[in-house]
Amino acid sequence: MKLKRLTALSLYVTLSLAVYAAESVIPPLVPVPGIKLGLANIITLILLRRHSLKDAALVLTARILLSALLFGQLLSFFYSLSGGFLSLFAMFFTCRLLHKKMGFLTGAVGGLTHNLGQLLTAFALTATPGVFAYLPFLALSGILTGLFTGLAASFTDKYIFSHTESDDFSNSANS
Amino acid sequence: MKSKDQTVPAALLIGAVLIFITALSLLYILLSKSPKGGLIADIYQSGELIASIPLNEVRETYRFTVTGDEGHVNEIEIRPGSIGIISADCPDKLCVRQGFISDSRLPVTCLPNRVVIRLRPQEENSETISPDIISY
Repeated sequence: MKLKRLTALSLYVTLSLAVYAAESVIPPLVPVPGIKLGLANIITLILLRRHSLKDAALVLTARILLSALLFGQLLSFFYSLSGGFLSLFAMFFTCRLLHKKMGFLTGAVGGLTHNLGQLLTAFALTATPGVFAYLPFLALSGILTGLFTGLAASFTDKYIFSHTESDDFSNSANS
Repeated sequence: MKSKDQTVPAALLIGAVLIFITALSLLYILLSKSPKGGLIADIYQSGELIASIPLNEVRETYRFTVTGDEGHVNEIEIRPGSIGIISADCPDKLCVRQGFISDSRLPVTCLPNRVVIRLRPQEENSETISPDIISY
């Protein structure tokens, strides 16, 4: 791995961990498990847009592993992993389909699929079909929070990352 | 370079699907009615039905404790007509914050301890949850 790429990706991991930590301080608005803003998704969205699926997956995995170690619950690790990767792939295809435009749609798809993944994990862990009663609530909140993180990612990308030259290492990484 | 004529239909399609799911969820949340009459509270621990309590037969508030596989503890309070978790050793205490439920719309769930409390109408046959799924 090129040093520049390693540095940039580490920086992204740090950023997403910081965002994740900041979000965990905010008390949950609705007392339904699974409903949260998902601000760390902003970083994933930016990575998908400016770098590649591989880089986004690396940063996501590192973030989930580290946040499980730091804020520590084994179970939340499984929830993050299933939701995170399902939404990563869904966002990758959406982002591609839209030619990286209209980031809020990509975000909404990500939020929705993230919550779907978590719900499926909850079903797998509790083995109780009753958890699907949460489906409409989680779908709705996933879309709404996803719209928000998608917009946030678009603005971050436009105003902060547009001044950096960070996307040139994706080319040099191939060489 | 990037054809706009391809992006727009894709965006419309994705937008339409998202709006459809949003509308469906909203309709479900707003229109789903809790059936009147007696409710039975089913308490599940890791998918196993450990207690069924007919809530309208409860005269006095009482509590009991559910202990899970790894020694996790949830204290459940049963009141006449409603049920909830009043204390738990899980980290986020979302189950406690969900309060007491008295209709079948949303279950009370403690995901870390894998406890689910679900209400169902008394007259409902167990077709929605088959015993096979519960006991597996």
